[in-house]
Amino acid sequence: MPKKLKEVLVESGISMDFESGGHSPAGLTAREVNREPHLRVKKLKDIFMQTLSSANNEFPYWYTREYMLHDTEIPVVRRAMAVKAAFSHLTPVIYPGELLTMRKAAFFRGSFPMPWLSEGYYMAKEDELYQEALKRGSASADQYSKFGTGGGNVTKSFGKVVAIAGKFGMRTEEVPGLLKLAKTWVGKSVDDLGHKYEQMVPDYAVKEALMRNILCMFDSGYTLPLGREVINYYYPLEYGIDGLLAMAKELKNAVAGRADGDGIKGTNRLFNYEAIILGLEGLKIWISNYAKEARRLEGLETNVVQKKEYSEIGERLEWLSASKPRDFRDALQMILTIHLASVNEDAISGMSPGRIAQVLFPYFEQDIASGRISEDEVMELLEQYRLAISSIDCFASAGVVGGVLSGNTFNTVSIGGLTKDGKHACNRLEYLLIESGISNQMPQPTLAMLYDEKLPEDFLLLGMECIKTGVGYPAFMNNQNGMTFMMKQYGDEGMTVEEARAWAIGGCLESSPCCWKPLHLNGKEYFIPGGAGQPTSVGVHFLAMPKILECVLWNGLDGRTSEKVFEPHNLKLETYDELWAQFKKYWQKAVDILALTNNIQHDVWRKNNMGIINSFLKPDCLEKGHLIDEMGYRFNGTFSVESVGTITAVNSLAAIKKLVYTDKSVTLDDLKKAVRDNFGFKTAQEVNSFSLSDQEKREDAPSGWDKMHFMCLQAPKYGNDEFFADEILLEWENFFCPDCSNYESLYAHKMYPCQISVSTHGAMGSATIATPDGRLAGTTYADASMSAFPGTDRNGVYALLSSAAIWDHTMSQNSQLNVKIHPTAIQGPTGSRKLLDLIQAYMRKGGFHIQFNVVDTKVLKDAQKNPQNYRDLMVRVAGFTQYWVEIGKPVQDELIARTEYEGI
Amino acid sequence: MTTKLTCRDCRNFAPVDVTKGICHCTKEMMKADDEQCKDFNLLPKCNNCKNFERTPDTIEMGICKISTHEPKFFAYPDMVAVTCDHYTAN
Repeated sequence: MPKKLKEVLVESGISMDFESGGHSPAGLTAREVNREPHLRVKKLKDIFMQTLSSANNEFPYWYTREYMLHDTEIPVVRRAMAVKAAFSHLTPVIYPGELLTMRKAAFFRGSFPMPWLSEGYYMAKEDELYQEALKRGSASADQYSKFGTGGGNVTKSFGKVVAIAGKFGMRTEEVPGLLKLAKTWVGKSVDDLGHKYEQMVPDYAVKEALMRNILCMFDSGYTLPLGREVINYYYPLEYGIDGLLAMAKELKNAVAGRADGDGIKGTNRLFNYEAIILGLEGLKIWISNYAKEARRLEGLETNVVQKKEYSEIGERLEWLSASKPRDFRDALQMILTIHLASVNEDAISGMSPGRIAQVLFPYFEQDIASGRISEDEVMELLEQYRLAISSIDCFASAGVVGGVLSGNTFNTVSIGGLTKDGKHACNRLEYLLIESGISNQMPQPTLAMLYDEKLPEDFLLLGMECIKTGVGYPAFMNNQNGMTFMMKQYGDEGMTVEEARAWAIGGCLESSPCCWKPLHLNGKEYFIPGGAGQPTSVGVHFLAMPKILECVLWNGLDGRTSEKVFEPHNLKLETYDELWAQFKKYWQKAVDILALTNNIQHDVWRKNNMGIINSFLKPDCLEKGHLIDEMGYRFNGTFSVESVGTITAVNSLAAIKKLVYTDKSVTLDDLKKAVRDNFGFKTAQEVNSFSLSDQEKREDAPSGWDKMHFMCLQAPKYGNDEFFADEILLEWENFFCPDCSNYESLYAHKMYPCQISVSTHGAMGSATIATPDGRLAGTTYADASMSAFPGTDRNGVYALLSSAAIWDHTMSQNSQLNVKIHPTAIQGPTGSRKLLDLIQAYMRKGGFHIQFNVVDTKVLKDAQKNPQNYRDLMVRVAGFTQYWVEIGKPVQDELIARTEYEGI
Repeated sequence: MTTKLTCRDCRNFAPVDVTKGICHCTKEMMKADDEQCKDFNLLPKCNNCKNFERTPDTIEMGICKISTHEPKFFAYPDMVAVTCDHYTAN
């Protein structure tokens, strides 16, 4: 039997004990807090648990059919005609027992491809379209992206079901239509047109090399052009669909033929308002079709209770197809409907609902006061809302949905924060939101606590109770940090301190600009928050720092493929400063070329595929008459540069600095040889485990590498409150954060740093050879951006917090720290208090974000062996909660390997 | 050519996913390919529409005769037509 790394180390007297602060009890430990949802919701949830992610052609068929009919039309109007046709033809499906209804497509977890964005990735691997996608690098990440094989994922074809893009099931009867639609868009999609023009960027070969070798794994322009932002429900809530139609028609009349001082875009407003009207008409028909279906079912139904519920659904949707909400039930259905409309218009992940308890509070407050609804009824509706949001799938490539998203769509709800006038924003409905997250534990919406010192103690402690269920939410974000970042990035666009207070989390962890709008209900005015900015996590995304280091060490070549990525630097790397300077040069070259090519992709998107519905929802598109493509949004400086593998790179640089340049105990050439030979181990793919400790020695391994490997493993590591490694992180952040503002988005705004890994630390780790910190080939990177590499944070959790807080987090849109705690470490009221103390300590040190997995590692190991027993087990990955069985093996292995804190 | 009608061809069937759905008559979970029952109510699909013309020598593809495209826009038999204003039952 080949020896595993942990056995090799034990023989050498080095323990790979990943428990910190004690030892966990023998046997499997369950989580302390566990509750059940209302019976109605439980029944619907049982259906969800059996449901496969399913796709059909309905939306793309009608979109394409209408779009191809109007090739001489003004682009924005043509796009709106297609959007209207698609929404108008969606088949309504309502299930017995639902109180809230409507869905993306005609399945419980339905979705569909959008070939106008990209058409190659879901073709058969032998198809020329797929081969072309591989060549240009847009499908390379698919091959290193793993889905979990359980839950709702359809990873293999069976019977009359074909698995598409690694996750979605489609009926064989639909496949010829799918292929026909894909071929219709060849040469016309954003992917194809973008590719045509991005090749005109000088040094374009570098971009393709970056993608093919998986130094970068996300082209946002044709994959997920919108999202990682906060939606705004204000206009439909304040005016209703007919009110908005009337407003758009009035404004259209006012601007027709008028430039009003803008000789380039002024007259475009006529076409933009026409597009908005078409979009609204599409929504009206879509809602009305659901109302008709409810009435049809009412006619069929013999059960008196169910018949009445269908009747109420029918009446509510008939009302909402025209008018603004009257009460809490109307308002909740309205925001769900608008949310689904938003995520159907484009391929979107991370369209976050935002601070919905503050948006819905006016209805809640008045309904409770008048006795129209009880808190128990509100709870039942909120539980069902969680079910509806968890059912939102996004159809995109395996590299995106598996490698980046782990199947999640990041519809994050924010709680806490401040009001417009600076008081804490917590209200009674926010307590119920947390309670519903405890009673109906589902991945979405995950909760983001905008932590401010002003928030009530009992509210924060309720958050601790929720964390102890093991669901991974609420995550804690530093409200003051968020506001400071807002003012730094959006001050140039006129953001005020009041507006900064409206911020919320878009996507899983992307701080997003928002604003306040005055909602009127029964003569009372409320200021409600909502999104006011363009998508974030667009621009340069998932650029792997360990791979950049690899190119520095190998003179511009990728370490895995030996393909040339950058021009050779031809330096001898005789000093650490020389190596570090070259690292920064290659980083800047990569960011520059990726920023330019992504600008072109997004430019193609905005010219033909601009958001219509998504635009009119966001201030101030309606008032200005300009959509997203003409910067109608209030805040447009949202493009960013996203790093991956921060701590793996920091630890690697620390090892090189210590061993090669400070102690001179090894030469750089010898270290490179050992790294290239994977320190004598097999690759993670060969072992089929992506955790460092499980790696196996090769039979033919030279004996000389062991000593060097131990030295690398024992070199200084981030996460121990020791300056040697932490200083490298500080140096990196002080370079990276300001450097981002050297790159300009297509909207002519400076970029900023984004530091979350989502799931890419798994996929990109798979494509990375061994690293000088002792990590082995193919194993995952350290997750997130502030998490320690598993097993290397040996000085306790407070030391980890100190390391993470060494730099100024307000320079960045985010940072991310995940901590795994054994349930017994925070048991009872004392445990809750200790957990809150820990969080507050980090926030007060200036940390931006912290979140927890409260789980027994032994349970995770058992779940990996016996997934059939753990369909409902959820874990926190990197900014989101997901079902264990739907996560790919690399990330599962990384979660198991993370340091488990037995005491805090 | 005729094909066997199943639950997924029925208007009373609310599809949950590509393999199953809930019958509105019985409230039971049914397999999508279960044979039709006594309560079967034909679901509007292109296959059942007068405006659908099958492409010769294939059971998978055809055209929508009502489309104003030149040539006529494609259609396929399994497309649900509940919301199509031009659906005309055979």
